[in-house]
Amino acid sequence: MMRLPPIAGEWIDRAVPLTFSFEGHEVPGFRGDTISSALAAGGVRVVGRSFKYHRPRGLVSFANHDVNAMMQVEAGGRSIPNVRADVTPVEPGWRITAVNTRGGVANDRLAWLDRLARFLPVGFYYKAFHGKRLFPHWERMFRALTGLGRVDTTAPLRATAKRYDFCDVLVIGAGPSGLSAALAAAEGGADVLLVDENGAAGGSALYARGGATQPTAAVAALIGSVAAEARVRTLLGGCAAGYYADHWVPVVTGEAIVKVRARAVVLAQGASEQPAVFRGNDLPGVMLASAAQRLIYRYAVAPARRIAVLAANAEGYAAALDAQSHGIDVAAVLDLRSTVGPRTQVYRERLLQNGVRVLNCVRPVEAIGGAGGCVARLEFTAPSGLESVNIDGLWMSVGFAPLTGLLHQAGGTVRYDSGAEQFVLDSLPAGTYGCGKLTGAYTLAECIEDGREAGRAAAAELGNSGRREAGRRPAGAECSNHAFPVFRHPKGKEFIDFDEDLQIRDVENACQEGFDSSELLKRFSTMGMGPSQGKHSNLNALRVLARVRGESLEQHSLTTSRPMFHPVPMSHLAGRGFVPERRTPIDREHAVRGAVWMPAGNWRRPEYYARDGHTRAQAIAAEVGAVRGAVGLIDVGTLGKVEAFGPHAGEFLDRLYTGRFSNLKVGMTRYGLMVDETGVVIDDGVIARLGAECFYFTTTTGNSATLFREFGRLATWWGMPVGLVNLTGHFAAFNLAGPASRAVLAALTDLDLSDAAFPYLAAREAHVAGIACRLMRVGFVGELGYEIHVPAEFGVELWRVILQAGQSSGIRPFGVEAQRMLRLEKGHLIVGQDTDGVTNALEVDAAWAVKMDKPYFIGQRSLATLAQRPLRQTLVGFRLAAGGAQRPRESNLIIDGGRIAGRVTSIGVSPTLGHLIGLALVDPAVAAAGKLSLRVDSGAQITAEVVPTPFYDPLGEAQRRKEGA
Amino acid sequence: MSVVSVPARPLRRSPIDGGHGVAADLSFVREDMARPLPLDRTVVSDAAVVLKEMSWRRRFGLKGPAAESWLATHHFHVPSKANSWVVADGILVARLATSEFLVEALEAGQARVAVAARELYAHDRPLAVYPVPRQDLVVELQGPALNDLLRQTCSVDFAPPRGLRASDAGPLVLTSMIGVAVIAIPRELSGRRELTLWVDPSYAHYFWTTLLAVAVDLGGGVLLDQPHGAYGDHT
Repeated sequence: MMRLPPIAGEWIDRAVPLTFSFEGHEVPGFRGDTISSALAAGGVRVVGRSFKYHRPRGLVSFANHDVNAMMQVEAGGRSIPNVRADVTPVEPGWRITAVNTRGGVANDRLAWLDRLARFLPVGFYYKAFHGKRLFPHWERMFRALTGLGRVDTTAPLRATAKRYDFCDVLVIGAGPSGLSAALAAAEGGADVLLVDENGAAGGSALYARGGATQPTAAVAALIGSVAAEARVRTLLGGCAAGYYADHWVPVVTGEAIVKVRARAVVLAQGASEQPAVFRGNDLPGVMLASAAQRLIYRYAVAPARRIAVLAANAEGYAAALDAQSHGIDVAAVLDLRSTVGPRTQVYRERLLQNGVRVLNCVRPVEAIGGAGGCVARLEFTAPSGLESVNIDGLWMSVGFAPLTGLLHQAGGTVRYDSGAEQFVLDSLPAGTYGCGKLTGAYTLAECIEDGREAGRAAAAELGNSGRREAGRRPAGAECSNHAFPVFRHPKGKEFIDFDEDLQIRDVENACQEGFDSSELLKRFSTMGMGPSQGKHSNLNALRVLARVRGESLEQHSLTTSRPMFHPVPMSHLAGRGFVPERRTPIDREHAVRGAVWMPAGNWRRPEYYARDGHTRAQAIAAEVGAVRGAVGLIDVGTLGKVEAFGPHAGEFLDRLYTGRFSNLKVGMTRYGLMVDETGVVIDDGVIARLGAECFYFTTTTGNSATLFREFGRLATWWGMPVGLVNLTGHFAAFNLAGPASRAVLAALTDLDLSDAAFPYLAAREAHVAGIACRLMRVGFVGELGYEIHVPAEFGVELWRVILQAGQSSGIRPFGVEAQRMLRLEKGHLIVGQDTDGVTNALEVDAAWAVKMDKPYFIGQRSLATLAQRPLRQTLVGFRLAAGGAQRPRESNLIIDGGRIAGRVTSIGVSPTLGHLIGLALVDPAVAAAGKLSLRVDSGAQITAEVVPTPFYDPLGEAQRRKEGA
Repeated sequence: MSVVSVPARPLRRSPIDGGHGVAADLSFVREDMARPLPLDRTVVSDAAVVLKEMSWRRRFGLKGPAAESWLATHHFHVPSKANSWVVADGILVARLATSEFLVEALEAGQARVAVAARELYAHDRPLAVYPVPRQDLVVELQGPALNDLLRQTCSVDFAPPRGLRASDAGPLVLTSMIGVAVIAIPRELSGRRELTLWVDPSYAHYFWTTLLAVAVDLGGGVLLDQPHGAYGDHT
């Protein structure tokens, strides 16, 4: 048991003990413990296995940044993969296992992979996967041998509520510089949001105490001042995971993502401590000094009984004092440097007074494992020669890498400062500020002052584009970073990247193979691509890379950092899942009648109405039959519906469509075809003129929103004062079609429906069932028919009353599939189905709808050019016997002499005609031959006959049907 | 031909009538509009956050070069700037753009707005006035957790002091909420903040059910704006 007596400021609640299991063994803990701290307190030192070689691993960073402490947690009936044990508070009853083991973390049956390390060189994956033939084999094998946790595919859907937050100044990081910045910004009048991924404010000042029993009074005062400042809100346990344009920062909490919009952002995230690179640096028990300090002061856990500190800065000496003050035997402080600065000297003297052996000019040779593979001895060279020390813990304190990810995403830059031996701020984008370790400030006083300056600047420049000079490292400050804490060993196993088991030789070999820049090295070696995202490896890898190339670090740059800066649960990213769906006002009426739904754009529409004892095909055929033989009613409310007002409305439509509408008579309609600048068909609809300066027109369902925006843009672009009103959602619309439609409608209106008073293609405004409606007599499905448009609030009433009126005529609602067949029988094209992104108006035989003699319309010049050239393809009708076993489908190819000559665009069995009919876009020469060879799904080819369209009622008599006919 | 029973006065239907999983097939009528009765989600007025469906209010829209003068001629108070609103005599006039307006009767003023709407649609209106049908879903949001709900659903900060605190005039916001374009007007009435939203009716089902789900999660629900005795079966 490694739990220490109570420590001032500890995060655990000793009044609430708990137990959980790890790898089948019961482990005690307290409320407030993380999984890792409880395991460490329980004496568990091996917490995971490495990704590639399955080496035993212990806690390294204890900061949410390493792969070693990732767990599979069984809790509450759920199995949660890749839980970060370092930062996840443990709950009673959890059953926890390490990820990526075969047979458990203690006796992993894949540990033999470690012996194959020399056969798995850098870039091994790329080389192994190179051949296509063996790729499936390798893929299966590597998926089995490597990987992280297991996803529980039966887990219930969890709605995670994202939310927005707003502030004047967002301060990221609640260490001394962040606290100071927040306070200064608030004193400057700003509303401040202070976020920190830890559960308490204070940062490293709370645990890097140098043996003191309490954190320094200055930090305590700062925390108190921030807590008392009404203008500062503090969000703890939230990790700023990205930085997007206009100061949008997603903050990931345990439950959700908070999308913070700030007017200015202060980056005060501090730095990640970096490991030294030497043989055996990954043995359990070898850890960062800051990790050990966090275990001591936050969770009252002694990480070891006897330690050595491998140091290259004052922070390492302070950590040794922290260990001593909690009863941990410090065997030696092994300083890599030959001389030390004044900050170190203070701690050094105290350690010497306490009897600790302190050596300089030390080079680690090898950490050697003992029982369970944990560190038992360190061999090193000192000026006196090769030495060794017996230990059960080795703490590394050789330097830091500032967290620059968010800075890069914000558009800032860093440069390597050879005085500080780290990357420091170089430039900042407007509204972004940095302070603390990011600028090279390490002492408490430096951090507080630096933060104060940044906070003041952020508050003072709100709303302006002014920028603060990038921070400058205080002159003469003692360096906290070693220039090259990398020590090669002839036998290797000096790990740079713990996530991916990458060693010094991997970087060297990558360079030799030509991957000799940071970005190339990353992709070839996977350096920094694991769960820690390079927070502990990128800097050391860059150091080795620079040395191999014989260059200085100033000549190199860090790899691009992209959001998310930190891994985020998929459920957080998904959020609640807002997927807007549109419905017509008649939606419930369809549901009551057994509608089977289909998506149409972002609407839902009835595909057909299910009927007991009928198959889908039978139900659709019955709906088609009702329209052809009696009367049918379809909801076409999804069509785009637009009004254009003003004296220029006609001219505006002349420009939009290929046809002419400025001469359309009031009370009449006309088909409209729309093409783009290249002459490609993009939409069609019906345009009605309701008044001298008022047009009402429809667009296709899927295009309505896009086109309405485009109409507005074009009106502005052309400088035409046209009043455009989008009625798409505000009007219900039905099509009443069939021989009996006139009679059904007549029962509901006083409008004269005679052919003379309301002829084919006329439009009228009248009352139907007491409701003001717009009626258009159009041949939508090739029958006598009326399109009826009505304000949405009256849609249900009108739908019901029409169905009631048509009951004795055998009226039947019909869905989209019946509509498609009815229109196919008439040879009507569907834009987007019978056309594609390159089909022009001439290819679909729509020249009749194109008025080239107009002064201008969109696509006119292209169509004029295309008219001079032979057609590339043409839309033709074809027919087949219905009973064949091999039925073609839409998108089946048309083959001619072994080449692709076209494709089927629409096809179906016509209930009216009794055989298969379809449309195809095909080479005109092939179409002219009169036969099409269709290649069906089975690969067989069948022959169809090219026939003229319309297939049904070629003279159009049905839709022009007069009363009494 | 069937005998058709044509109602003397056609019933209007709320954009969410019958389409949002109501517990019973019941609705009630206000201003000739049938509205749903969500028995299972109804809360009291002091719940954390409440949704009130107010689509029944009479309203109309208009735009065009002469729209402002038409409103003035009909004695409506017109906001002087785009993206702002005024309430006078129980009638809200919102200026959505330089020459586009939304007029809605709040509690009072229903008849006056209905009459004006009829005149707007008459054939003798000025040519430079273009009627804009407004069949919107109208939702009022209130309650102490209002801000929590908004922060889950909209990227605009409506919290004071940015969100305005006025009862008779202020700015309006044209934005999107849960992926749907809305007109949003924040007001403060008797010290209580509320936000009114106008939404395209084709999104009504999605918008209402989604917003209600968020509200329920926050301890809220639907607040009926009419006594239970007024309900009946109008389906």
